[in-house]
Amino acid sequence: MCVTLDCLAKALGARILTADGSGPRAIERVYAGDRMSDLLNHTSPTALIVTNLATAQLVRAVALLDGSAVCLLNAIVPGPELLRAAANSGTVLMVSPFDMFETCGRLYDCLRRERSASPS
Amino acid sequence: MYRIIAGDYERVGAASSELKGMLKRAGAEPTAVRRAMIAAYEAEANVAIHSHGGEMRVTLDEGVLDVEVVDAGPGIPDIEAAMREGYSTAPAAARELGFGAGMGLPNIKRNSDRFELESAPGSGTRLSFRIYLAPQAAGCRAPVWLRVAASRCTGCLRCLRACPTEALRVRGGRPQVLEHLCFGCGACLAACPAGALTLEGVEETLDRVAGTTLIVPAALLSQFGARFGPGRVLATLAALGVAEVWVQEHWEQALREAVAAVAREEGRPWPVLSPVCPAVVSLVEMRFPSLIRHLAPFASPVEAAVSEAAGRDAAVAVGCPAQCSVLAASRGRLRGIVASSLLVQAVRRQAAEGGRGDASPRVPRPEAVGERGEDVLRVTGARRVIAALEEAENGLLADVPVLELLACEEGCFGSPLLRGEPAVARWRWAGASGAARPAARAIRRERAFAARRGLRLDEDMARAIAKLAEMDRLLRELPGRDCGLCGAPTCRALAEDIVLGRADAAACLQRRLDKEDKR
Repeated sequence: MCVTLDCLAKALGARILTADGSGPRAIERVYAGDRMSDLLNHTSPTALIVTNLATAQLVRAVALLDGSAVCLLNAIVPGPELLRAAANSGTVLMVSPFDMFETCGRLYDCLRRERSASPS
Repeated sequence: MYRIIAGDYERVGAASSELKGMLKRAGAEPTAVRRAMIAAYEAEANVAIHSHGGEMRVTLDEGVLDVEVVDAGPGIPDIEAAMREGYSTAPAAARELGFGAGMGLPNIKRNSDRFELESAPGSGTRLSFRIYLAPQAAGCRAPVWLRVAASRCTGCLRCLRACPTEALRVRGGRPQVLEHLCFGCGACLAACPAGALTLEGVEETLDRVAGTTLIVPAALLSQFGARFGPGRVLATLAALGVAEVWVQEHWEQALREAVAAVAREEGRPWPVLSPVCPAVVSLVEMRFPSLIRHLAPFASPVEAAVSEAAGRDAAVAVGCPAQCSVLAASRGRLRGIVASSLLVQAVRRQAAEGGRGDASPRVPRPEAVGERGEDVLRVTGARRVIAALEEAENGLLADVPVLELLACEEGCFGSPLLRGEPAVARWRWAGASGAARPAARAIRRERAFAARRGLRLDEDMARAIAKLAEMDRLLRELPGRDCGLCGAPTCRALAEDIVLGRADAAACLQRRLDKEDKR
């Protein structure tokens, strides 16, 4: 019951900014939020974190908890510090052109479709 | 030791990251690393946001991680408010970065096995937390699930006298627990009138209990007098949002049957000790290592119930620190652990508002196997339990098939977190017709029982004997009144403290007075 990151990125028309070094990553759930404490609690290797917090701290915290992917919103252009942090930690960074609501809606549809398609 | 610089949000996470490397090299379990990271990151962010700078000190020892985060001020004016979720005094700059949601401290507490916070405006803040890195680590160490609020201690010394293993001292205006002597009975909790000693690692509110399968001791349901029987308590718990109540008694019964079967095995040394009370198991591991082979290899009833609840949203109402300790390994699978006392308060409040449900008649229970049988010798109350274990150790109970020992008077009916008279509560408990009757099985232990350091004065026997001689000499000099004013419960305990460097010979007030008289 999981979807590859590429599949989710396609559903959003999102750009993947940092290269994915370790092959296709499987995502089981998506967590969206803008509070560091909430995100800390829900980060995991198979979760995609959706957030407006386009900061290097966020990426470092996600890496600390073995998170693998972060999706930023509103077609924001991340700063060099953030890109460097993501590259250093091997975190996949993508940017969705939509706001949080629209992004989550699309991700939800994609996850549900894939789940019902793949029996497990 | 890692330095944390005030206002430097850029570097938040640097200390935690180093800690993570250390934990991985130490071979900590992934779930424990995760909890450590959440707690450490939040603590680090707090120092960067709120303080004038500070540092994080890390101790890693036998699978136990202790982290202490100390800063130079300005201190927290209202700790109670700071512990509330959503309360925040963070500046706008921090909030823009997603910090300052008012979740930091509660988050640290939830992700650690022990949590202490001391602060005063003007001075500084000291936060410490402990995480057991492997499930067995929690059991290897003393099950000290007590939180000490030094500011509330009035120095009444009641905890000192209540402790059946002399594991407490009151020094420097605060109770201290000697971890290697504590077996988690919680007698000190019940004795403390000032609330300076409370249970550690439990939920502060019932928020997380709503919608769960709540595993409770039977005693909780028979706490409320003749007119408010188990049936009404169950209805009240349902009104408080609990989806289903499982009574631990079912697993006690299952365990009793399993232990009886073990006692019938060929070649089993009698008495077979029932592991029904986790505090007693800890006591045996600590003080009666020769009896470890008599323990039947099962998990305690509360662990068995939690295992049966796998896959459900479950929470547990615990009655003593020892239960908290055995649940440490399954903490991640539970929605929460609450102190029985918190539920008692909630039920009382609800009852005062009119209560719900009907008065329940006394329902006769099916005959409990073995409970009254001659095969089982049942002893309750810590001091009598210790006496029984001493008899067993001396080989005087070889005619007893099963020894069922419970640290509290009348077993869990005398839990330190319940106030009802134990014998009355036990009599009034007659099974509750409304409670779920889950299939209960006894489960085998995953970890073998293991001896703990306990009373030994030194690892080396020759040195231990020398220390014993020194203790005897000191004991002859001490007044022998066991007044407790030195902070140790007895003169013997003080002598031991002096020999082991835990106290000064000048601690004895009586001796100082005598010397002054002579002058």
